[in-house]
Amino acid sequence: MNDDYNDLVELAGFYILSQRYDEAIKVLRRAEKMRKTDARLYYNLGIAYEALNEMNEAREAFRLVLKLDPDHKSAQEHLDKLIEE
Amino acid sequence: MKQFVVIGLGRFGSSIARALSEMNFEVLAIDKDEAQVKAMEGVVSQAVVLDATDEKSLRELGVQEFDTAIVSMGDTVEDSIMITLTLKELGVKQVIVKAKSDLHSKILKKVGADRITIPEREMADRLAQSLASPKIFDFIEVSETYGIVEMVAPKKFANKTLSDLNLREKYKVSVVAIKRKIPYTNPDGSTDFKEEIIVGPGGQDEIISGDVFILLGRNEDIEKIRKL
Repeated sequence: MNDDYNDLVELAGFYILSQRYDEAIKVLRRAEKMRKTDARLYYNLGIAYEALNEMNEAREAFRLVLKLDPDHKSAQEHLDKLIEE
Repeated sequence: MKQFVVIGLGRFGSSIARALSEMNFEVLAIDKDEAQVKAMEGVVSQAVVLDATDEKSLRELGVQEFDTAIVSMGDTVEDSIMITLTLKELGVKQVIVKAKSDLHSKILKKVGADRITIPEREMADRLAQSLASPKIFDFIEVSETYGIVEMVAPKKFANKTLSDLNLREKYKVSVVAIKRKIPYTNPDGSTDFKEEIIVGPGGQDEIISGDVFILLGRNEDIEKIRKL
């Protein structure tokens, strides 16, 4: 189960680097069903949504990262940028 | 027919001049750099080497007869302010100016610029504007019917090249630039992205999900794309 989860998150990272953000989101949502406590998952989800300009979803994902890991600097930076109105 | 004068033929200025010409508008392109002007010969109605900070030369060229001037002076903030002032004094109806910063933009407003655009503006500013309309980030009115708009490329365009999409034929719009997020891996293994702007993209350029178009076209045609 753990290996499956890590494989999915790794695959999502590959999809993000290949600019295949929709696929990355699908895979991350599958991984989320296995574990909801990993900041790394929600951070990648935030990146993929932001890359697709889906800002509400991106904000929500970065907020979840900070809930799980309040010191996550990159997530904080992305969120700051997204809520600066 | 509406006439445009484009002053400053760097990447932004030359792309706008090219796009307006493709829309069959009369375009006078001006730069003091001979090579930049030469590159626009045959593309626009007239391309002239001239120092646009010189009021006399601008007047002699008849710039005051044009409906709209687009000033895109790159790094020379003082020059763009001087030129804007001169164009308004000469009586050009609409002066659209590219600004470098908010301060530059404020000064341009004071000297009479009708519309100011900051293409390199921080992402955050664009996001703020996008709240009103999630797909359209920015809009510059070029004339009553034509505009330059920054919008998210429709999802169905993803993985197709510009020549596949044939937007000029099908929708009568011209893609001035594409903004794209380029992902990378940090030393700690996490992913992030930086933004890249492809100015004057070619037919072979492929659209990627999440790309943002800067389009020039009739407002109604832009609206058709927005609805896709």
